[in-house]
Amino acid sequence: MTGTIRKTALLVPVIAGILIGGPVWAQSEGPIRGEAVYQKRCLMCHGEEGDGLGPAAERLNPPPRDFTLGQFKIKTTAFKDPITNDADLIRMIGDGMPGTAMPGWSDILSEQEISDVIHYIKTFAELEEEKPSDQIDYGTQVKSSPESIATGKKIFHDGDRCSECHGAEGLGDAVKKLKNDNGERTWPRNLTKPWTYRASNDAKDIFARVTAGIPTTQMPSFTNPKSKKKLSIEDRWHVANYAASLADAGKKVRAENTVIKAVRVEGDVPTSPDDPAWQQSTSSTFFLVPQIIAKPRFFKSANDSVSVRALYNDKRLSVLIEWDDRTKSIPGDEVAIKIADKGMSPDAIAVQFPVEIPAGMEKPYFLMGSDAKPVNLWRWSSGTTEKPESVALIDAAGITNQQPRDAATSGLSAKGAYKDGTWRVAMTRLLTTSETAKDIQFAPGRFIPIAFFNWDGSNSEQGTKHTLTTWYWLLLQPEAGSKPLMAAIIVALLIGGALVWWGRSASAANKETDL
Amino acid sequence: MKIPKLLQAVLVLIGVYLGFILVFDVLLDAVIPSSVLAMYMFFVAAGVFMVFTFEEDGTRELVAPIKALVEEPSRRLIRNIVFVVVPVLAGAGTYFQMVPSLDAPVELRSIHPAPPTAIKVYGKRVNLLKLENPYRKFEKEDPEKFKELVAGGAKVYIQNCQYCHGDKLDGKGPYAAGLNPTPLNFQDVGTIAQLQESYLFWRIATGGPGLPKEAAPWISSMPVWQNFLSEEEIWQVILFLYDYTGRRPRSWEHDG
Repeated sequence: MTGTIRKTALLVPVIAGILIGGPVWAQSEGPIRGEAVYQKRCLMCHGEEGDGLGPAAERLNPPPRDFTLGQFKIKTTAFKDPITNDADLIRMIGDGMPGTAMPGWSDILSEQEISDVIHYIKTFAELEEEKPSDQIDYGTQVKSSPESIATGKKIFHDGDRCSECHGAEGLGDAVKKLKNDNGERTWPRNLTKPWTYRASNDAKDIFARVTAGIPTTQMPSFTNPKSKKKLSIEDRWHVANYAASLADAGKKVRAENTVIKAVRVEGDVPTSPDDPAWQQSTSSTFFLVPQIIAKPRFFKSANDSVSVRALYNDKRLSVLIEWDDRTKSIPGDEVAIKIADKGMSPDAIAVQFPVEIPAGMEKPYFLMGSDAKPVNLWRWSSGTTEKPESVALIDAAGITNQQPRDAATSGLSAKGAYKDGTWRVAMTRLLTTSETAKDIQFAPGRFIPIAFFNWDGSNSEQGTKHTLTTWYWLLLQPEAGSKPLMAAIIVALLIGGALVWWGRSASAANKETDL
Repeated sequence: MKIPKLLQAVLVLIGVYLGFILVFDVLLDAVIPSSVLAMYMFFVAAGVFMVFTFEEDGTRELVAPIKALVEEPSRRLIRNIVFVVVPVLAGAGTYFQMVPSLDAPVELRSIHPAPPTAIKVYGKRVNLLKLENPYRKFEKEDPEKFKELVAGGAKVYIQNCQYCHGDKLDGKGPYAAGLNPTPLNFQDVGTIAQLQESYLFWRIATGGPGLPKEAAPWISSMPVWQNFLSEEEIWQVILFLYDYTGRRPRSWEHDG
């Protein structure tokens, strides 16, 4: 009997909801329907209990959000208000979190479904009844200008306020180990790569992070009354303008840019990473992805891209590889040990070429070749405090079949330099070598497959645990010479001459008929 | 108003050319290599020429404007302009033909290559024509068990596949942009909905290195999953792919 009454009682708001057209229904049923959405779309990462410990968690960097904390990275409520706005949650779910495995769901979930799932997510921290009270005070926005950026830069470095974690140039090259509230390792943002900001590098977004902090991380609020580093509204706008100005579009991957164009130079090619001659060529940037094909696999990578440029002359090819790496990994070095994960190895980069430039479409297997189609690896290592940097020439026929060979006989050498969160490594080799059966022989005008492998030694990367790119192209830009121009002039003259002759003979014929 | 024959011919050629671009480059998003397009257009031009010159009147009408341009004294100005512009264009064309290209070579790709009749996986020979998902029957026979199997597949997927194929199975996982060819989008109607479960089993178990000879350009980054997953796990993840996207696998019965 009571059961029937309860069912009827439940039906009343439901029917009323249908009649009124929504809101009542949403309020009473929201969390229930949100649970269904959560179970289908969110549970695998964020876990059945919302604790961020779903089956995917152990293989994700950064780890999935733990909803039981009730704290979120994008927050536009004031520092003293621990509750996040619904608008922020809608944004995080709808647009996703760039630089993480969290995709934007607005193309699959309706607004209603997102709202329902937000209701449900809040129940993990028992926040469903809580309402935010204090919003961020944006004051009057200071528009970006060279003066504002200069002021912001001063504030950024003043007392190591921001540079302590974000680095002298904003690349997030940490000087201390950072952890979130759950004790998991976190990394300061590399401010030069705005496409990895969880929100965006719009000054208003940066202002909000600086003002409210990033909850659960060590990014503090600069409005915290207890903080010595507290900033006024105006100063926070200056800092935001400065951070936004650090964006380096040159590090952005452009999908259509698949060819590294080596420019021909007169005189010597550079062999040092700091040579100004590198500016003669433009750089191409490629994504690094973790190696998950060979055992043991690797999932939690730290470095995300490499930028490459190349120059050549009649004897040598030189390649400059640059990549942002928050840690300079030199085993034995005290500063390096302090910030590295356990078991640090040297940092390393390898360039891969096919031994033979393919005549058709078929290239060697991109993960270090095969018996039938072997590859050359030029592998540079940062060395340790005991052993200086070095480069190895490796004949590889698969990831488990690598034979080092003397680099000097092929004229291969390399030199690296680390500064403010970026490694720059210059490698150079003779265009042609005497080991024609083992070494790639470079020739201008050919499209040569090229790939890269990277090891971040402070992130436990060694052996098969590394990141890689798939095949791209290296082109030693051929000099066209005067041939095309000569041919063009000859063709134009021939056709022009023929036309004139035709015109003349036609008018001559006309005259004859006239006569 | 009657359109002059010459203009008609030119319009037909332009129309066919734009048609190619519209259908392949825009609608199908499969850019035609310029050499192939040039070959097609050669045949089209030859065909148009034959049609327009089939009768003698037609031929005369076709060349009349050209003849007039060259012969009639009243058209001197236009003639002189044409006599300058045509050689210049021909010269420029020659120049750009001969300057070496800096664009990456086009790699034609065959999607969904035909499967072999038998494959070797897990150390045994399997006939793909007869291979069926051993768990599919539970969809009707034991829905509870089927649900558990799908959940098992979801776990396999999130721990192994989402990095490339994405949380949403849309081929846009966090590492997708670094791969060439890009990972398959299972939400797309042109992928798993067109395939049998045995085909998926083959592609998953043997990965990129298991592609047949005709599957150019052999650069898929798909791992060889028989090295990491059991047969049961592969069949479960296949159940999950169809369940999550709401698609149905093709089968012999439905094909008939």
